[in-house]
Amino acid sequence: MFKTKITDMFGVKHPIICGAMMWLCKPELCAAISNAGGIGNLTAANYETEEDFRGAIRETRKLTDKPFMIGLTLLPSIRITAEHHKMYIKVCTEEKVAGMEISGTPLDKVVGMEGIESLKKAGVKLFHKVGAVRHAVHAESVGYDGVYAAGIEEGGHPLNDDVTTMVLTPRMVESVKIPVVTVGGIANGRTMAAALTLGAAGVMMASRFIATKECQVHDNIKQELVRKQEFNTTLYGQTLGLQGRALKSKIIEEVISIEARKGGFEEIIPLISGQRVKEAWEKGLVDFAPLMVGQSIGLIHNVVSCAELLETMSAEAAECLAAANKQVVKN
Amino acid sequence: MKTKITEMLGIQYPIILSGMSWISTPEMVAAVSNAGGLGILATGPLSLEDTRAAIRKIRALTDKPFGANATLMFPGADKNAKLLLEEKVPVINFSLGKGDWIVKEAHKYGGKVFATVVNLKHALKAQEFESDAVIATGQEAAAHGEEVTSMVLIPHLAENLKIPVIAAGGIADGRGLAAAIALGAEGVAMGTRLMTTKESPLHAQYKELAVKKDVYDTLFSKRFDGILCRVMKTDAAKKAIKNGLNLPAAFFNSRDIARQINQPYWKLFIGVLLSGMSSAIQLAYMANAFKAIRIATENGDTRTGVLPVGQVQGLVHDVPTVAELFARIDAEAKAVSGRLAEKV
Repeated sequence: MFKTKITDMFGVKHPIICGAMMWLCKPELCAAISNAGGIGNLTAANYETEEDFRGAIRETRKLTDKPFMIGLTLLPSIRITAEHHKMYIKVCTEEKVAGMEISGTPLDKVVGMEGIESLKKAGVKLFHKVGAVRHAVHAESVGYDGVYAAGIEEGGHPLNDDVTTMVLTPRMVESVKIPVVTVGGIANGRTMAAALTLGAAGVMMASRFIATKECQVHDNIKQELVRKQEFNTTLYGQTLGLQGRALKSKIIEEVISIEARKGGFEEIIPLISGQRVKEAWEKGLVDFAPLMVGQSIGLIHNVVSCAELLETMSAEAAECLAAANKQVVKN
Repeated sequence: MKTKITEMLGIQYPIILSGMSWISTPEMVAAVSNAGGLGILATGPLSLEDTRAAIRKIRALTDKPFGANATLMFPGADKNAKLLLEEKVPVINFSLGKGDWIVKEAHKYGGKVFATVVNLKHALKAQEFESDAVIATGQEAAAHGEEVTSMVLIPHLAENLKIPVIAAGGIADGRGLAAAIALGAEGVAMGTRLMTTKESPLHAQYKELAVKKDVYDTLFSKRFDGILCRVMKTDAAKKAIKNGLNLPAAFFNSRDIARQINQPYWKLFIGVLLSGMSSAIQLAYMANAFKAIRIATENGDTRTGVLPVGQVQGLVHDVPTVAELFARIDAEAKAVSGRLAEKV
């Protein structure tokens, strides 16, 4: 329905990409999105061994013959080490995956220019998630194929430059030649239309995909996202040096109060550990762990299948663009 | 362009000049209205006499529709608003307070009233007492937004309101205008972009700074004027936010305000005390902020002056005339929108 640099690059129907989500972006959801004409995501850190990671890629390929992205965060963590990072990149190269969403440290600092060359030779399209123009310019200079411009409204870890999507996307578009994909605040056709108008070649969203039938998460969580409004998220973690945006909940209030009295890292880490998040998703416990969703939850009103979501979103975006065009062109 | 706002007001472009103290002066208001947008006079720093003179001056400079604001939290704002009604100002834009009585009176002479809001709750209330439109302020805007950004706030309001939504925050060019309309807005309000035009009375030093500074160069804090406020990141702004409320300074600065709005100081002082403790602290904050903003806009002082600006300053790259700017926005919006229509 749409023709953009992203739909051309991947040969997909909709310029809509799923963002990496720990514990949630697994083969079923990933394939459902790709089969629906978008681009699904398989998040590497869900798999600790090479065998499991490669297995997940192959499992996804059994479920879909369409392209999907591998989500890879290159940041030091307790569970996932630098060795893991190298393993993921090696497997992506060998498996010739369609594309990678990378966040954190840029690839050249991890595997050097040779590593990037090998990935490119294998046909892997490389995207870095950035919150600042300087990071986008760097990504372009080392050969990335595109950037995800992540506004402060996004769930997860928005850069502490705090720039909003409305301003960041056009600022990125005027600064780099590679395609820019908008992240943050996107959940429906209107927001997708706006991102394309601002110069984006596509949109990436994550929170919206949690409230789909195919997402393997407890129904309580899906219903909570439908209920909650755009002002029900908050930033936290500034004192840890890595700010996050999550649903306002008892656990986040506790984290914020520990930060306010200058409590340390040791006190906070147990409250926000990955294992806790996993349990919260599985059991539907909204107050048990930080649920990293963005302000776009205010625009989520139902739980639908991925196919229905992408079809209605694209159709709505097309309608909004046509209506806006009429308003703008008339004299 | 043709939207509910251009139709409602009979103007050429759905572009509104935000009411910015010491910037949205009669000359600037007339420049924007004459160029086909809607200028809004900032009445915050004006006494009753000044306001009346300003309105008459605008009428001498333009026969196009214009507006004036009423920041209902400021002392003396009620009286100023009554005067706007008496003068039958075509559009009144109120903020930081309940403007139901303004709507009622303005509608008697065919005036329109726009409510500035930051969330759906306030927007629904404004709709309920029959405001004609809301101006939705996103987090990225200059001065008083809240946490929710334009990208999320505008579509959320547009899908829940019957009255038109005007997007404020993050808009400086044709792409932004077309994107706001795609999000469901019927118009845009621009402050930062319009303050950086030839006709704007903003001091040249700050126009130059606004062109130089990038999207990251703002600060968003409650410690400047007591509520969340976005200002240009300068050494003076960092210092003001670090220091927080300076009460002795507020005492002196509030005397200036009394002089400015031509009220006896004792009356202002007692009024403030009667308004309650939190409100008194709020007004003390505002007194200092007022001073800092004034010396920035009028004198170009970057040592102690502080200027509210939006993140969109990073998309402001030059200082055109208002007419040049509007023609460029119009052409760009049409080009972007046309290109996209082909992509679908």
